[in-house]
Amino acid sequence: MRNPIGWAALTLFSLVFFLFIYAPLLVIIGYSFNSNPVNMMIWEHFTFDWYRGLLGLGSRAADANNRAAYIESTDQMLRALRTSLTVAVVTTTISTLIGTATAIALARYRFAAKGFYNGFLMLPMMMPDIVLGIGLLIFFVTIGMNLSMLTIIIGHCTFLISYVFIIVQARIAGLDPALEEASADLGASEWVTLHKVLLPQLAPGILGGALLAFVISMDDLVITYFVAGTDNTTLPVFIFGMVRRGVKPEINAIATMMIAASIVIAALGLWLRARKTE
Amino acid sequence: MALLEIRKARREFVTPEGGRFAALDGIDLDIGAHEFVTLLGPSGCGKTTLLRSISGFETLDGGAILLDGADLSTLPPFRRPVNTVFQSYALFSHMSVARNVGYALEVRGEDRASRERAVAEALEKVGLTGMGTRKPSQLSGGQRQRVALARAIIGKPRLLLLDEPLSALDRNLRQQMQIELKTLQNTLGIAFIFVTHDQEEALTMSDRIVVMRAGLIEQIGTPRQIYRHPKNRFVAEFIGETNLFALTIDRIESGQALARTVEGLELLLPAGTAKAGDKAVAVLRPADFTLADQGIAATVTKAVYLGADLHLFVQPAVGGPEIRVTARDSALAPKEGTKVHLAYDPAASHVLEAA
Repeated sequence: MRNPIGWAALTLFSLVFFLFIYAPLLVIIGYSFNSNPVNMMIWEHFTFDWYRGLLGLGSRAADANNRAAYIESTDQMLRALRTSLTVAVVTTTISTLIGTATAIALARYRFAAKGFYNGFLMLPMMMPDIVLGIGLLIFFVTIGMNLSMLTIIIGHCTFLISYVFIIVQARIAGLDPALEEASADLGASEWVTLHKVLLPQLAPGILGGALLAFVISMDDLVITYFVAGTDNTTLPVFIFGMVRRGVKPEINAIATMMIAASIVIAALGLWLRARKTE
Repeated sequence: MALLEIRKARREFVTPEGGRFAALDGIDLDIGAHEFVTLLGPSGCGKTTLLRSISGFETLDGGAILLDGADLSTLPPFRRPVNTVFQSYALFSHMSVARNVGYALEVRGEDRASRERAVAEALEKVGLTGMGTRKPSQLSGGQRQRVALARAIIGKPRLLLLDEPLSALDRNLRQQMQIELKTLQNTLGIAFIFVTHDQEEALTMSDRIVVMRAGLIEQIGTPRQIYRHPKNRFVAEFIGETNLFALTIDRIESGQALARTVEGLELLLPAGTAKAGDKAVAVLRPADFTLADQGIAATVTKAVYLGADLHLFVQPAVGGPEIRVTARDSALAPKEGTKVHLAYDPAASHVLEAA
């Protein structure tokens, strides 16, 4: 028996719920096509200028506006994006390799201090970012290491390894150990078993961990803020520094492109997952 | 010389309480080149540990396992010329059926053409011709079982190890696979070591059965020997339904011993070496009894319908434990409360060597 009032309330709740999640994204997408360079909340007319500017197809209006109203140039913003992408690609690669290897080692081999490793790999995930950020900064200063893209990469890897480790570990825990035994039984050495059986079986977990690491690295503000040098600003840090003086319209265009990229990545992940379980 | 010789095999595990537990407590066993041997016993008896010691996934703490006279103990699993069919099948879900079956040859580096030929041949042997392009997830339980079998025999092992491979199948399919496995073993002409806790499986397929308990071998023999002449109470009770009678021999008469239970139930047994006054435990299977006009006077307390047969629980008039009897079902079959007489052939009875 349906309770009409209950259903109406539930429907309303759902609508509001989705509104709060998606409305900000839709607003940003809308703004990215607004030609008003000074106050993006007032609609002028539809334009691709901000996208053209970003993609280096320079429209004169946008360049003029840049000089007029903002200190930061589009070039700086693009450099921040490039730094973010470089950091994300390198950290994803490193943390996926180390995280996966650690998960396999901890699940399949016996060695001393195994419990210690297991516990301490979780710690960077639990720790507040601000603590990790300050800790890393003090550490780099103490050992006399100049803040650079390298320190950002090291900083990101410290906690992204944990994320990859946990996701791959969950996958390996659900794996029948008899699979590797069957491979050995049929004449495969450990190395052959690793790349013919174990890694393909873990692939969905490894891919999931890598995607997560990439997204978190692209997104990280707090830790990066502490360990980034002046020449190596990532996009989140750059945007954060900018909002105090007002947001450049190009930010909306970048945000929109990032939303589109996220949707593509998420869809890719779902598709791969569906293909694996088929 | 036997194909496989197991000598004083020992394997100990540390229990969670810190104690030691011998999963294999000095096992001696020889297996011939064309034999179908079943390791039978309850959970924890060591049968799987013994199998895994042969395949190399367990390391012995003492003793040796020799294949063709050569010690296997220094060889890692992937260098041992034996193959295993796993209980969970352990098929590689990311590979096609054909690649699963051809895995041993792929790892060995054989070329594609000879691999494809061997895969087709192996699939044909297990009745899966044409299924090579499928994924394991698209197969039924019985078909997966056959893929696991084809994968294990493609490398032409001298010895195939099977770890409770039929336990996940339903009854009809299991019986069909039992016959097929036996036929396959004959065709291949290799030795099979089959682990199970299902006595019916063991009786159906084996050339010899090894009954194990708590890391020790209780008895080795043909299915008929194990069923008709169990060495002790454990084997008698583990293999099939059994009536055990604790008896004292009354007197010996013309090659037969007259014995009676505490309650006064009298039984005739083959005399053997027994003499008057000896204690003995006699084994009589439910099918050894027939309903007759005279014999042991008793009352049916329960009749269980099994299709062609009836399983009767019968209380002897003199008292003592109930006797289990198998009878053909018919319109005249006894019901609960019916008074009956039980007869049996004394030659069918068997006296345990050790109670």
